[in-house]
Amino acid sequence: MLSSNRRAAIEFVLDHLVWFILIAVLALFSLTIPNYFQIGIFANIVEQSTFVGTLAIGLSLLIIAGYMDLSIESVMALAAMVVGILFAKSGVGLGIGFTPAWLVVPISLLIALAVGALVGASNAFFVVRLKMNSFIVTLAAFIWGRGLVVALSGGRSAQELPSELRFLAIERFLQIPLMAWFAIIATLVFAFILNRTPFGRHLLMIGGNPTAAYRAGIKVDRLTAITFVLAGAIAGLAGWLLAIRTSGATANLGVGMLFQTFAAVVIGGVSLKGGVGSLPGVYAGVLLLASIQTAINLMGMPAHFTQLIQGGMVLVAVLLDTFKLNIRKRLA
Amino acid sequence: MTTEAPLLRLENISKSFGAIQALRDISFEIGRGEVVALLGDNGAGKSTLVKIISGGLEPSSGKVVYDGAERHFTSPADGKAAGIETVYQDLSLCTNVDVVANFFMGREIVKKYFGVPVLQEKAMEDVVAKAMAAAGTKIPSLRTNVEHLSGGQRQAIELNRFVHWGGKLVLLDEPFAALGVEQTRRGLELIRRIADQGIGVVFITHIMSQAFQVADRMVVIRQGKVAGDVRRQETSPDEIVQLITGEALGGRARTADQNNGQAQHAG
Repeated sequence: MLSSNRRAAIEFVLDHLVWFILIAVLALFSLTIPNYFQIGIFANIVEQSTFVGTLAIGLSLLIIAGYMDLSIESVMALAAMVVGILFAKSGVGLGIGFTPAWLVVPISLLIALAVGALVGASNAFFVVRLKMNSFIVTLAAFIWGRGLVVALSGGRSAQELPSELRFLAIERFLQIPLMAWFAIIATLVFAFILNRTPFGRHLLMIGGNPTAAYRAGIKVDRLTAITFVLAGAIAGLAGWLLAIRTSGATANLGVGMLFQTFAAVVIGGVSLKGGVGSLPGVYAGVLLLASIQTAINLMGMPAHFTQLIQGGMVLVAVLLDTFKLNIRKRLA
Repeated sequence: MTTEAPLLRLENISKSFGAIQALRDISFEIGRGEVVALLGDNGAGKSTLVKIISGGLEPSSGKVVYDGAERHFTSPADGKAAGIETVYQDLSLCTNVDVVANFFMGREIVKKYFGVPVLQEKAMEDVVAKAMAAAGTKIPSLRTNVEHLSGGQRQAIELNRFVHWGGKLVLLDEPFAALGVEQTRRGLELIRRIADQGIGVVFITHIMSQAFQVADRMVVIRQGKVAGDVRRQETSPDEIVQLITGEALGGRARTADQNNGQAQHAG
């Protein structure tokens, strides 16, 4: 029998394993790669993590609830393109403006969130009401979402968002661009919701045993539908941020981010079986991937190494998950 | 028999799943503080019946009169709101969360900050610790995820949960399937204690001795019908076995069933 202090310490390490790995990896890179240990590099890692970090929130919530959302990347691109078309000044952009000009910030944000929520609601309808498999439903949305982006833009791009929006990508707080704070704050807000509110608790329970949750009087269908809508809206937020960063949108904006997000979510400790995961862990997973990518760039290695390493890391993450489970079994 | 109106009255409940008729014309009553054992062979329809009472299934026809009014429960949440607690044989625990979370599943203690409900973990843990101590259940840490606990410990959580939440009617679907001898004995005592508080108890079992230890009345279901509804003092294990299997039916069995049983026997 372990002493309760020792048990608590081991549990703590297991719960936050990805953070320990992140620190170890950063330390290793700082020691071995010239010029890695700089505030600017670390700020850049956080900045790079903005979009995948935001997407990962919604994906994590759905995977924790026992579902899947492959549509997030296309939803992000769609929201970015809608914002681009409405508010960018050149390309396919219509250049809509407001007086006062700063109104474009809340209005464009609301539109991006609404676009995302709409696709999320459509996913929810097929999955919850028609009882279709979420993998298939969201795969379809992944495809038609991207198709819609191309159709809306005619394959062209929208450029030059107003400076009121660009402000968020340029201005920095504590060396980190304002838009990256959106991802950090959203992560914290949803981490709180997941861990400290009945909604989050019920989401975990649905992911663990939907039958038991249903029998206990939890409105499983309603909660699931809300989560799909939330995941869509969060992907809309990611699209808004990405449009601001690139000052517009292109038809192939963000291609490939789905798999990075997936990798980060798994590395962050979310179990694909559902019912297990924490959002700060997922954010650490995102940072870990960005750190490795930065290291590869700094070493001047070809970019495709990133993909090789990220693929390998997903496998390691799943192995680690099994390993953690075994330790916990012995603890109990 | 209780003189006041029964807690639950089922009137001609039938349920079919497509071409299969699981229940036919089921009628019986449960009084307040009464323990009714629901007996029957595998596939007789006992679990289906429990689900209909709890709200998990809706009957194809017939009436459920509960606590003085006809009810149409469409989900277990409805049943729960009306004071019906259910313990299922396949346990209703979420193994990926801790003991406290399971105990309070769907009824968490919250405090609102700026309109946002926030879980009160400490308050919930205190309640669970008290309930577990009262029942004599030892679990190393209430913050352990249920997946790391033994079958017996899981059963104990589930039983303590329904004792704590009480309600007016408790449905137990083979609650002691995973329990040892001592825990089963304690579980049976628990059932008696609950009934003594005026709560109606329906419990499904396969084990005759359990039924005879604790039940006031026994309702036997055979092929989706009530094959017998007898008081414990007026029956014997042999008679119950006959009712369950449908062989050489005793005088108390319902006539319709008798004919039916014999016809099938002959056929």
